[in-house]
Amino acid sequence: MNKKLLSYLIVLLGIPAVIVLGFTVFSEVKYIYIALAVAALSLVPFLIRFEKKDHSVTYLLLIAVFTALSVIGRLAFSAVQAFKPVTAVVVIAAMYFGPEAGFLTGSLSALLSNFYFGQGPWTVFQMAAWGLLGFLAGVLAERLKKNLVLLSVYGAFSGVVYSLMMDVWHAMFEDGIFSWGRYVTSVTTSVWFTVMYAVSNVVFLLLLARPIGKKLDRIKTKYGI
Amino acid sequence: MKAFSRLHPLPLFTYFIIMLLFSMFLRNPVIVALSLLGGGAFAATLTDKREKLSDLKFYIPLSLLITVTNPLYSHNGRTPLFFVNGNAFTLEAIEYGVFIAAMIIAVLLWSKSYSKIVTSDKFLYLFGRAAPKTALILSVALRYVPILKRQAEKTRAAQKTLGLYSTGSIADNVVSGAKVYSSLVGWSIENAVETGRHMRSRGWGRGKRTCFSVFRFRASDGVFLGFTLLAAVLLGLSASRGLLAFSFYPTPTPLPVTALPVAAYICFGALAFLPFLIETEENIRWNCLRSKI
Repeated sequence: MNKKLLSYLIVLLGIPAVIVLGFTVFSEVKYIYIALAVAALSLVPFLIRFEKKDHSVTYLLLIAVFTALSVIGRLAFSAVQAFKPVTAVVVIAAMYFGPEAGFLTGSLSALLSNFYFGQGPWTVFQMAAWGLLGFLAGVLAERLKKNLVLLSVYGAFSGVVYSLMMDVWHAMFEDGIFSWGRYVTSVTTSVWFTVMYAVSNVVFLLLLARPIGKKLDRIKTKYGI
Repeated sequence: MKAFSRLHPLPLFTYFIIMLLFSMFLRNPVIVALSLLGGGAFAATLTDKREKLSDLKFYIPLSLLITVTNPLYSHNGRTPLFFVNGNAFTLEAIEYGVFIAAMIIAVLLWSKSYSKIVTSDKFLYLFGRAAPKTALILSVALRYVPILKRQAEKTRAAQKTLGLYSTGSIADNVVSGAKVYSSLVGWSIENAVETGRHMRSRGWGRGKRTCFSVFRFRASDGVFLGFTLLAAVLLGLSASRGLLAFSFYPTPTPLPVTALPVAAYICFGALAFLPFLIETEENIRWNCLRSKI
């Protein structure tokens, strides 16, 4: 009862507080503030739904392992700029365990790897971006599993989307307001990154998706899940 | 670097969120300057010489780059210095560039201190009770990162002793890395399923979950949290009444120096330098104790 009351209080007071702050205290830089608030709040419904459902402990641990695997991937490739297997691992987790697992693997990978790479306001954006890409991959799971071409297209697409979403952050971080001029320059100066994200996603998905799928099938037979 | 991080996670987390929000969103030169100085002084107590040097090597070119590029985007301002392709390169745009650079460096410095102070255990302690399942995943994943690293090293060593992929060419490195990762995936999935079974047979999910924590909310935590919130409310009120408003274009507005804004600046300055003062006080006390021996 106490907990329920608290969660209602958070929703009833928290959201208006966020909005009121945006329009009064931080009114000059509304847009970046709202963007940050939206990114943070977009995580909340997913988490609430996940916490309410009943999950087997194996499912939770598998999500944890995939999160750790993507973090290890980011650490292993930290020397190579923008060439990271994180999105690929998130997409694979989403393909085999569903949208919810995809969302969690994505957003928790961002949070966890930033304990190594440095947290900051950008963590919120990365969590939202990777979480939503994972969720979408989970929704498209059946089609992605069957079709390697579609999988590669999704990999490239998610690289581009991730880059475009992070560019929103970069462009707004400087001015506090959204201006197309800055956004366009931000997008054009990061073209190389965008291409690398897309290429690395496709490469890692093609390399990893089928083998990991096979391993999961083997585990399923071995343990009769 | 102990005194400040010994505080309870709740006041620490609140403090950093408030500092980040105000540094990012209160677009006032005095606030940003105070935040930059306070953040810099505090970050300096947390880093060693080598890290300081590498940070400076990153921050200085970055701020120069931001300062120089801002006039390329914005041609507002009343004092053109020269023209490039018919576009004015204005003094105000450069001033605004300096301001943005200071703001970004301040945010980076505070984020850096946050990463060093609010470690994963404190973060989990704060959010573990609100979202127990997510916290479980996060803490298991945190534990898996070093386990997987060690397992990867073992696999790599086994590869080497077998004489596989040892020419050091790029192709060999890539294939070796891929094979190690693949074996890591298989091993870790199996490990996770096994762990899940162990947890279930030991009665996971029966009854109420308890959380272990070493954190105690002391009186000093209450004082610190109270001060932080009070300062935040005062600053928020003065910002919402437009007392801290400042604009660079067309010409920089004069800085408000009446009683209320100055009080707000003092308030924010105290807040920004608080961690540094706590650290310094501890250092002085430590040195006194040592010199007595």
